[in-house]
Amino acid sequence: MKKNNRALNDAQKFSLVRREAIYTGLALVGLIIFWLVAGFGTASLDVKIFHIPLWAVLGTVGVWLVAIFISALLSQKLFTDMDLEGDDDGK
Amino acid sequence: MESNLRSLILLLPLLAFMGVMVAISVFVRHKQAGKNFVSSYFVGNRELGGFVLAMTTVATYSSVSSFVGGPGMAFQVGFGWVYMAVVQVTAIFLVLGIFGKRVALLARKLNAVTVVDIIRARFQSDFLAAVAAFVIVLFFCGTMTAQFVGGAKLFAAVTGYSYEAGLILFGLTVVIYTSIGGFRAVALTDTCCAIMMMIGIVLLLKYVLQAGGGYENIMTTLEVSNPELFEPFSFGNMPWTIYFTQWLLVGICTIALPQSVVRGISYKNTQGLHQAMLIGTIVVGFMNIGINFTGILAHGVLSGTAADYGGVDNIIPTTIVTAMPIELVGLAIIGPLAASISTISGLLIVASSAIVKDVYLHWAEKKNRTVTPARVKFLSMATTAVIGAAVFVIALTPPSLIWLINMFAFGGLETAFFWTLLLGLFWKHANKLGAMLSMTGGTIIYCATQAAGFKIMNLHQITIGITCSLILFLIGSYLGKRSDDETLKIFFP
Repeated sequence: MKKNNRALNDAQKFSLVRREAIYTGLALVGLIIFWLVAGFGTASLDVKIFHIPLWAVLGTVGVWLVAIFISALLSQKLFTDMDLEGDDDGK
Repeated sequence: MESNLRSLILLLPLLAFMGVMVAISVFVRHKQAGKNFVSSYFVGNRELGGFVLAMTTVATYSSVSSFVGGPGMAFQVGFGWVYMAVVQVTAIFLVLGIFGKRVALLARKLNAVTVVDIIRARFQSDFLAAVAAFVIVLFFCGTMTAQFVGGAKLFAAVTGYSYEAGLILFGLTVVIYTSIGGFRAVALTDTCCAIMMMIGIVLLLKYVLQAGGGYENIMTTLEVSNPELFEPFSFGNMPWTIYFTQWLLVGICTIALPQSVVRGISYKNTQGLHQAMLIGTIVVGFMNIGINFTGILAHGVLSGTAADYGGVDNIIPTTIVTAMPIELVGLAIIGPLAASISTISGLLIVASSAIVKDVYLHWAEKKNRTVTPARVKFLSMATTAVIGAAVFVIALTPPSLIWLINMFAFGGLETAFFWTLLLGLFWKHANKLGAMLSMTGGTIIYCATQAAGFKIMNLHQITIGITCSLILFLIGSYLGKRSDDETLKIFFP
């Protein structure tokens, strides 16, 4: 994950958090598209892997693996570490 | 004699597990002594690490229906059901990614320990906070009843003991350990529960494969005898409307469930949050795919249709009894029961905080009444116990259509909180009138359409509730007064 070595003020933290929420929303859209294409999109293909239709493999395990990749990408690359205490917390 | 021995073998693992749960809560209460009671009891002093945060979020989210009704449906419908259920892999990274940090930052700024605290501060409305607390308690009671009933029925079906005995064994245990240990105990016991759920799935899968003559044999037979299981719409058993509404009901809209959002207040640092997003997604996917796939493979053990075994809810209990050796049956049902008790404990502590913290303590503060720490402690533990006991009593005479009540409660919470939290925390123009109209109007419309059985295009009423809730929020925000600058400075610095 991104390391943040400088002290952020509240405005910068909230701006970062907003951006991270947008990344998460976009990741969701990407995953929904993958889910549609991987499942319904390949349902007409007569291909099986270990006796399971391709659409079912891609639409279940495939979606899970993509979700893991997305979570790793978000949490390890796009999200930033920050101190959760604010400028004037508790005052 | 032999019967007594069988009973003992079945009960021992369960008794041991429940004993560990209570011991954890007593230990936690002892360790938390001397710390701020409200903060430690309701959010565990914001000390959760990544692994525990992931496990408690997953365990609270995964209910007994994920382990009983879900795989039973997979038995009947096939891979279409697994394809639909896998949308739940979004639940953890969405709630933690969207709300995790924002809620954590705000909770520290506001000294908030509940989601209602944050709603009250954002919209400067005691009325809205009271409505939110009421909605939480109301719908949580419905969900908890479903968990109690589902768990006790499973216990009775597998062990042969009575429904009431099951309810007393795990129902009272969960009420006791939640009342004593509070949120921290809930988080730790949830972690144990999540681990037991995964062990239960692996064990069941192993024995189902063994009893069915191996994977190759089961699948080859199914390809010939049940071709509908291999088709996404399952020859009409899985219409597109189910896929669509499940994306809303158990996918996207779950980000606003108060029991999930409150996890954002409870963790220690952002490293923990990032870890939890990844671990949680791995675990929730493993559980969903694992247990539902096992439901399909159960055809290798059970030769009839779901109706032959008394409906889809009986598929997993019957499979456990049929496929597993007696000495492992007690261990195997810990998984589904753990799903039940972890959801109950998670809901119980939030419902208790809604009454004690959001209603009573706020009222006392406004009236300048002093509430001693000892009184707060007594009230918190007593309230948790009383809510738990009330739901326990309701579950003693289980209402019919219990699974529908569970889904009804899920949709009600999402209708009430989705836009209030999402727009409230990310949109400056969201205001008090919008939130009030959305939460009250949306919830009333949702409940009314449920009561009347009214649907549009045969979609679940969550689609009506969530749409009306959005429209009302936007109308209210357009017509109502803008939030004051001081509030906006806190929420949008």
